[in-house]
Amino acid sequence: MTRLRSEIDLDRRGFIKKVLSGAIGGSLLLVLPQGSALIAQQLAGVGDEKEPYLNGKKFAFVVDITNCIGCGTCCVADKNEYQVPDGHFRTWVERYLIDDQDNVYVDSPNGGLDGFLTGRDDIPNPLRDTFFVPKLCNMCEKSSCVQVCPVGATFRSPDGFVLIDEKRCVGCSYCVQACPYSVRFINPVKKTAEKCTWCYHRVRKGMQPACVDACPTQARIFGDLNDKQSEVYKLLHEPQVISVLKPDMGNEPSLHYLGLRREVT
Amino acid sequence: MHVLAEIAATASGYVFPNDLQVHWTLMIVLYPYITGIVAGAFIVSSMYHVFHIQTLRPLAGFSLLFALAFLTCATVPLLVHLGQPGRAMSMFLTPNPTSAMAGFGYFYAAYGLILILEIFFIYRPTLVARHQAAKGLKRIFYLVMSMASDNLSAEALELDRRIIRFLSVVGVPMACALHGYVGFIFGGVKANPLWATPLMPIIFLLSACVSGIAGIILAYVFLMKVSRRPIDPRCMRTCVKFLGGFFILNFSFEMLEVFTHGYMATSHWPALHGLLWGPLYNSYWIGQVLVLSGLPLILMGVLQLTKNRHALVNVLAPVMAALILLQVLFMRWNVVIGGQLMSKSGRGSVFYQPAWLEKEGILLAVVIMVFPIMVLYLLGKIFPFWQDDKQSTIRGVAP
Amino acid sequence: MQPGFKSSPKAHIVRIVLTLVAVMIAGTFIRQAMLPDEFGKLGHYRPGAVEDEANRQARIMSSESCFECHPLIKKIHVDGVHKTVLCEVCHGAYADHVKDDVVFATMPVVRGQDIKPMCVKCHNKIIQAMPPESIKLVAFPEHLEEKKVRTHHICDQCHHVHAPLKWVHEAREMMGLPPERERS
Repeated sequence: MTRLRSEIDLDRRGFIKKVLSGAIGGSLLLVLPQGSALIAQQLAGVGDEKEPYLNGKKFAFVVDITNCIGCGTCCVADKNEYQVPDGHFRTWVERYLIDDQDNVYVDSPNGGLDGFLTGRDDIPNPLRDTFFVPKLCNMCEKSSCVQVCPVGATFRSPDGFVLIDEKRCVGCSYCVQACPYSVRFINPVKKTAEKCTWCYHRVRKGMQPACVDACPTQARIFGDLNDKQSEVYKLLHEPQVISVLKPDMGNEPSLHYLGLRREVT
Repeated sequence: MHVLAEIAATASGYVFPNDLQVHWTLMIVLYPYITGIVAGAFIVSSMYHVFHIQTLRPLAGFSLLFALAFLTCATVPLLVHLGQPGRAMSMFLTPNPTSAMAGFGYFYAAYGLILILEIFFIYRPTLVARHQAAKGLKRIFYLVMSMASDNLSAEALELDRRIIRFLSVVGVPMACALHGYVGFIFGGVKANPLWATPLMPIIFLLSACVSGIAGIILAYVFLMKVSRRPIDPRCMRTCVKFLGGFFILNFSFEMLEVFTHGYMATSHWPALHGLLWGPLYNSYWIGQVLVLSGLPLILMGVLQLTKNRHALVNVLAPVMAALILLQVLFMRWNVVIGGQLMSKSGRGSVFYQPAWLEKEGILLAVVIMVFPIMVLYLLGKIFPFWQDDKQSTIRGVAP
Repeated sequence: MQPGFKSSPKAHIVRIVLTLVAVMIAGTFIRQAMLPDEFGKLGHYRPGAVEDEANRQARIMSSESCFECHPLIKKIHVDGVHKTVLCEVCHGAYADHVKDDVVFATMPVVRGQDIKPMCVKCHNKIIQAMPPESIKLVAFPEHLEEKKVRTHHICDQCHHVHAPLKWVHEAREMMGLPPERERS
């Protein structure tokens, strides 16, 4: 894992050097105008197709628990990107502390938005395992939320993203009840359902999701599985333990975890 | 936000950040309560029309009007609850066939149609008579209500009688569908261990029947006392018998559900146990089970197993009915709210207390429950409740 | 028609049936008129909703968008151990700074005592669950005592916030000490 990361670090450094210190003409092929701000194209081959949907791409999101430091930067970036009202979370981070009697202590103060500033002093036994778990929409292939929406306001787009039609949602909260992962909530301002969309609007423009961009330790990885050079492709094709949350629900989530323990619900 | 902070303070264990808020509030407790009464009241009427239980004849017409009064008000708590009530028509425009809740639009409308049609056919002779006796606006009103027909010949009445029979037979599965789908709205949510059971539609249906019969007993006794008329003793005893029978079934299924969960003790049991012995202890064990199920069962035992005078029945039956009406309300609360108090983390729960004056608060709930009574009062002005009233020739009703 | 009655025995039934049929036909037309455009073309939803979501403006533009106008900071940042830290996390989203290619607001810069909580959010040993391979963890006041620095010092007195080991490396070089083992 460390070897892989340092390789990526080198790549990243080289990439940035190439883009920013290379000839403008050459680098224009690799950057996309957003207004006149030049941002590096982070997802290869996206943003220049004629059709509206991300055809020919199969996106995957991997969360690597072993890298998460619980800084909450992802939550800050997400809240900023979507201006999420206080008390509601499109993504959050949980801290798990497991003692040697198999007792599990979980907390997520304000969703991890401010980081985890204090330890827990209510644990009498010595700890055997400690880790952070970022949570976000699992983009289930058989989503409960799409099944129960009475008016067809939440749906799976042709490119595999479960999205919400804000103009048609009636705010009945059935989808909130149905989601086994509690990633949905009702926006108190718009009075409609809302959830993490894997930053669909960014991905369509060729950018990484905001939380992936923000994560300083590559705990969140996003990419196209059809691109054999992508990090997600390599991770999901290495022989290692890849898990999903609550597989017994039958939702077939697309969000994969590396390093997930059985105690995580 | 401060509301969420208050709820967070009541949380025990670990609750997912988005689980702090209870989305389906008191309004959503009222909706199945009201539709349950509708379905149950219809069952009383069907017991006469379909199953030919003659002793229930005095209530045959009234129970339909009672059902209609509650049906007209069932939408109100839903509209109050929706985040975007202006878009509620989408339920009719684009109902999602995989969503139980989408059944609200068309099941509800179809059932309402059956109910209205049955009332029309049963009361047509009365409407015709009233049209012919009235003057002015009232005359036009009854003209429209009777569909501008005046034929009360034997042939017409026989046709009416067959249609009534047909409607009441079709109405039984429709009433089951109307409240069964509400039960399935909960029963189909696999993410919630309290709700996800195939027993849920059955429990909802049985408690619907129970609440309907109880509501009618209470209304019947009250109206008879207010208008100083005699209460038909055989009718009352039959009602009490059916109330008791349905209630035993209802209670058994409710207890079976909890018992099975506890016996099997799957990975969901600690969360359920934490709920039932935690925030839900008072409203479930003390409220719903001990007081509001225990007492009616005792009263029922007294009424059924001892020799007693009609006067005693006329006192104990409404008490039992009132207790059972409360029991059904508590049951709806415990299912709807209780299910949401458990976090989907399986490791924690919150506490929920509705406020008096908020958008989905207690005061509004009380007001909403008063509406059907007002509608019933208005219906009583148009249709006579009891068949021995003047001008209430319900000749169309089959013996 | 029977004697004594104005309407036939079936009149009311016919009228009811006709009314119902009329309502159903009218309802069908009304529903068609009120349906959103192309609803159902791709599934049980309004296809325009996908474009609505895709057309949302991105607010965070990633560090490269900042480097375009801030080349000096870029130079320091991209070679330091904080190169994976997004500028916008500490300084706010691009959309709050530039609109239509015009700078309309200045970004918050954290200075003085406020810096320590920001650093501590990621680097505090007390939080228990951080994998030490990912990040350097320190505790206070042990870190300052260990480095023989006065305990009221704030982080940025020794660590350049954009490249935290820059000054540390430079100081060690100046003193002729071997470079500190850089965490990978």
